[in-house]
Amino acid sequence: MNGGLAERSSAHYRTDMLHDRPERHGTRGRALVAMSGGVDSSVAAALLVQQGYDVIGVTMRLFCYGDQVPNRPCCSLDSISDAASVAARLGIPHYVLDFADRFNRDVIQNFVSEYARGRTPIPCVRCNSLTKFRDLMGHADALGCDYIATGHYAVARQGALYRGRDPAKDQTYFLWGIDQAVVQRMLTPLGHLTKEETRRCARDLRLVTAEKRESVEVCFVPDDDYVTLLAQHLPADSPALTPGPIVTSGGEVVGEHNGYARYTIGQRRRLPGGSKTPMYVTAIRPETREVVIGPRVELYDHSLEIEDINWLSPPLDRGARCVVQVRYRSKPVPARVSNSATVHEGKLALDLIEPVCAVTPGQSAVLYREDGQLLGGGVINRAAVGL
Amino acid sequence: MEHITYLDNAATTPIRPEVRTAIVPFLDERQLFGNPSSSHRIGRTVRAAVEDARRRVADVLGTPPSGVVFTSGGTEADNLAVIGTALAATRRNKRMQVAVSSIEHKAVLDAASAVVSLGGESQTVPVDTSGIVSPDHVKEVLGQEPAILSVMWVNNETGVAQDVGELASICADRSVYFHTDAVQAVGKVPCDLSDLPGVLVTISGHKIGAPKGIGALIIPEATLIEPLLHGGGQQLGVRPGTENVIGIVALAVAVELAVVEQQDASRHTRLLRDELEGRLCSAIPNIQINGASRRAPHISNISFPGADGTAILMHLDQARICCSSGSACNTGTTSYSHVLRAMGVSPDSARSAIRFSFSHDNTTEDVDRVVAVMPEIVQKSRSLNGAAP
Repeated sequence: MNGGLAERSSAHYRTDMLHDRPERHGTRGRALVAMSGGVDSSVAAALLVQQGYDVIGVTMRLFCYGDQVPNRPCCSLDSISDAASVAARLGIPHYVLDFADRFNRDVIQNFVSEYARGRTPIPCVRCNSLTKFRDLMGHADALGCDYIATGHYAVARQGALYRGRDPAKDQTYFLWGIDQAVVQRMLTPLGHLTKEETRRCARDLRLVTAEKRESVEVCFVPDDDYVTLLAQHLPADSPALTPGPIVTSGGEVVGEHNGYARYTIGQRRRLPGGSKTPMYVTAIRPETREVVIGPRVELYDHSLEIEDINWLSPPLDRGARCVVQVRYRSKPVPARVSNSATVHEGKLALDLIEPVCAVTPGQSAVLYREDGQLLGGGVINRAAVGL
Repeated sequence: MEHITYLDNAATTPIRPEVRTAIVPFLDERQLFGNPSSSHRIGRTVRAAVEDARRRVADVLGTPPSGVVFTSGGTEADNLAVIGTALAATRRNKRMQVAVSSIEHKAVLDAASAVVSLGGESQTVPVDTSGIVSPDHVKEVLGQEPAILSVMWVNNETGVAQDVGELASICADRSVYFHTDAVQAVGKVPCDLSDLPGVLVTISGHKIGAPKGIGALIIPEATLIEPLLHGGGQQLGVRPGTENVIGIVALAVAVELAVVEQQDASRHTRLLRDELEGRLCSAIPNIQINGASRRAPHISNISFPGADGTAILMHLDQARICCSSGSACNTGTTSYSHVLRAMGVSPDSARSAIRFSFSHDNTTEDVDRVVAVMPEIVQKSRSLNGAAP
C-alpha cells in the first residue's frame, strides 16, 4: 500500500488533531460504504479513500440485544465504535443508521418463519437483498451517492457480479438477490484481494480492526444458538419446537425428536443410533412433524426447484446450461434449466448433470456462468422435482 | 472555513475566552504547577487558587464552600451522590436504598442499578406525559424510606424542569436526602441553592464553557457520603486525589459567568428556540414538541413522526448542522430514548426525535440554516420509511 495514510505515524496525530483537518473529498464520485466495524469493510473504505472517492461511512444498527449478550464480536456497540474509529482515522464522515425495525421485519421474522416451515434459511441473503442493497441504497440516494460499497469478496464490473479472486472467501453466493440496477452502482474494492491481503492492508493502515477475528455466526443469533432465538419468537406449542417422530424413508418410526427446527438436511447429530450404516436427515415434513432419515445415498438429488428468483443477467431459457451452487461451501456443479412443463410460474427447475448431496429447502441455489459471472439465483423450494 | 451551525450545546460547549484567560497562567507560569497538598510555597500558591475557586463556586450558587466537592465531572458526582449516600446509610444501620426518577441521566440510573447489585434496593418514580415528576408519586416512594431521592433539575434530552424546591421540601419533611443533577440547570434557570438547604447538587464544567473533566458535587455534610475513591484524604476524604487544579479554576470562572449571565442568556436562547419551533411547525406537517409545558429555555426536543432520527442527524451533519438525536440507540442498550419512553411518547415519535440545544453563541442565522434544510430532510426520511411526507 502506498499513500499518505500509511505513512502517517501516530506521532503525527497530535498536529493533525490540533489543526482544522478538512474531511477528505475525493473526485471520483461519492460512495456510501457500509461499515460493519469488521476488518473487511474497514479496508474497503480505506481503499476507496485512496482511490479518490468521496466516501461516507455508515454503520447499520440492525438489532439490539440490550444488556443480555456481552462480548459479541459483531453488530454490537464495539463494532459501531470500531467503525467510527476507522472512519476518524480515514478522515471520512461516519453515521449510525437505525435499521432495527426493518431488519426485524425483513430478515429476523423470515428466519423464524422459515425454520417454522421446516426449512433452513440464510438470513445473509435477505439482509443483502433487502437491507443493504435496497434500504441502505435508499439512504445512499438521499445522500447523493453515486455508489454503494461493501467489504464483500466479489467483483462488480460493468453492471455484472463475478466471484471474488480468493476462492476461499468468495461471497457472491449471498449476493444473488440484489436488484440489477443496484449492481451497476456497486463498488467491491476487496474483490481482487485475499483475506490475508486485506488484513495486511489493515495493518499497514494501522486500522483498529486489523486483527479482529472473523465472525462466522449469524450476526443476530447469540452464541450460534438459533433454537433459543426461535423459542423467543414462536409460540410455546409451535410444531417446530415440539416433539415429533423420526422416520425412515420407508415410513418406519425409529425415534422421537424434540422439534424439527433443530434439524437440517444432511445432519447426523441428534439421531438415534443402532443402524449399521451412518444415517442422515434426508427430509423434514412440517405437516406431520416428521424428520426423515436415511443412509447417505438418499441425500443425493438429480434436480431441484427454486423460487423467489432474481436475475442479474438475461433470464436463462429452458434447456440453457449453467453452473449451480446449492450451499455456501459446496462445490458448484453443472446444471441445465429443465424442460419440465410442470414447473409453476415464478419458479425454475434445474436438472443437475451430476447428483448433489443435501439439497436443502430454504438455502439458495445460485447460478453462475463458467467464468464465475453471477447469473442469478433463488431459494430452494424442493429437491428432486418430478421424482 | 465554512460555517458550522452548532446546536448541540447540551452535549458540550466550547471553552469560554474568560475561562481560557483564567487557566493560561497555570499552563504557562513556572510557579503555578504545585500540588495543593504540599505545605511549601509552591503548593500553597496553588492551594490558595483551589480554595478561592471553591469559595467562588459556593458563593455564586449560594452554598457553603465546605460542601463543594470537586469531581471529574457530572457522572462521577452523580455516582458519588447516589452510591455514596446508599453506602453511608448502612453505616447508620439503615437500609441501602435509593429512589430515582425514570428520566434521570444514565449516570444516576446506572448508579442506582449499581446500588442494587451491591445488595441494596432502588425505586423508580415515574413522570407524566409532560415529563414532570409528580409530588404524589414522590411521597409514595418516600414511604419506603430510601436514603436518598434523586430527581434531575433540568432534563438533558427535553429541557423539562422540575420543581426542585417542592421536591426538596417533601424530602426534608420525611428526613430523606434529596439530590438533583443540575448539569443542565446551571446558567439555564435560576439556581440559588440557598433556597435548597441540605440538597445534594451535581454540576459540570464542560456544559458551561469549562474544559471536560471537571465537575462538582455539592453536599450538606461530609459524613453523608461514603467515598467511592480511597486515597490521600483530599477534599475531606470524600473525593481524595490530587486536585485537578486547572479544571477547578476553570469551573469557578465558568459557573460564575453562567449564573451571572443566566437571565440574558435565557432570554436569548428562548427567543431562538421559540423561533425555531414556530418556523419548523409551520414548515413541516405533523411534528411534535416533547415536554413543552415547563422547560428550561435552551433545549428543544422535536419529533418528526414517520422519519428516522438517525437519518435526520446524518443529513443535518452533511448540511454542517450539529445537533443530536433524541434516541439513546448509540448506547446500544435501548432502541429509543428512555426519557421519551418514560413520558409515554410513541415509538414512532421517539425514533424520530431530534434535540436542538442553544447557547448564548447562537444566532438567528443558525435558526435560518436549520429551517432552510429541515423540511426536505424530513420529507426524504419519511419517504424512505414509506411514511406520509
